[in-house]
Amino acid sequence: MNDFSELEKQLKQLQPVTPSENLVARIEQALSESEDCRASVSDATPSRRWRWRFTETPYKVSLGWGLLATAALVLVFARINLQQPAQRKPNLAAISPVPSVSSTTSGATLVPVGLTQVTYSTRDEGLHFPTSSTQPMRRIRSQKRETMQWHNPVTGASLRISYPSEEVSLTPVSGE
Amino acid sequence: MDNVATDDNWKDCFSQMAPGLVLFARQWTRSPADAEDIVQEAFVRFWRKQQQISSPEIIGAREPVRSRGLLYAMVRSIALDFLRRDSRRARRESVVVAESDSAVQPEFAIENESQQELVAAMALLPNEQREVLVMKIWNDLTFAEIASVLGISQNTAASRYRYALAALKKNFVTQ
Repeated sequence: MNDFSELEKQLKQLQPVTPSENLVARIEQALSESEDCRASVSDATPSRRWRWRFTETPYKVSLGWGLLATAALVLVFARINLQQPAQRKPNLAAISPVPSVSSTTSGATLVPVGLTQVTYSTRDEGLHFPTSSTQPMRRIRSQKRETMQWHNPVTGASLRISYPSEEVSLTPVSGE
Repeated sequence: MDNVATDDNWKDCFSQMAPGLVLFARQWTRSPADAEDIVQEAFVRFWRKQQQISSPEIIGAREPVRSRGLLYAMVRSIALDFLRRDSRRARRESVVVAESDSAVQPEFAIENESQQELVAAMALLPNEQREVLVMKIWNDLTFAEIASVLGISQNTAASRYRYALAALKKNFVTQ
């Protein structure tokens, strides 16, 4: 470490640029405003803060992907349901002798065959300080790709849906 | 200065820390104004949190909070959020940013050519070494505090500091 003492001395001689004079005044003003806000927020609806947070871009992105994934799932199930009623008729009329087509119609449903979730990026974003908590949190953002697959064993048709998703997890960190 | 949040006269305390804090925030921003905004936001949040924690009904048997590391962690967290937003904005406004890049304001009050070269050598350091150097040299943080800010071990913090000095020495001498 002694090798660097001269260098350390030279570095310490470098003076960071002095911040603008009004920085302290701005902080003072912000602190007084936050005091006022806290007083007025105490009787306001608690959901206000959450409403504000959900307008932040990361939440919008996550919400967007979530909606997209939900829409994809709805479409898949809608397709399955649309196919089923027409083909179920012979099964409902099972009192009569089973028609020969029943074997083909009973297999006209898609069977789920796979669900994979691949995490291709995980980033530790360091400590985060949610306003709703007194404890710092470690924020980890994971980007994943989820793939669902269905297969029709009779016709051999298969359906695959793949979509990206992002997960943000907050883990409480102790003070010491 | 060890515990800025319990100091009644925060202005004096903050004034001493401000140049180092702004320098720390400058690592992720293009302008001193952005760095000051980050420091302001971090300090206000930090102060509010400390007031919350040290209020009589919460404090109980809790130990006084290690405030300095927390403040720097907040600055870093807000700066990284800012950087993410800023890089998106920069992509949208690439022309404007390219123009402003040519007018980047210095981080240090440079007095001679040797200092100019030292600052240039610092610019070549990897970010992870540079942030440790800034916290250690201009903010007087201990390795334990630096480790808590970055979420790394003290040994790693000390190693990064040594690597930074070694790289700096090499770059500075060769210039």
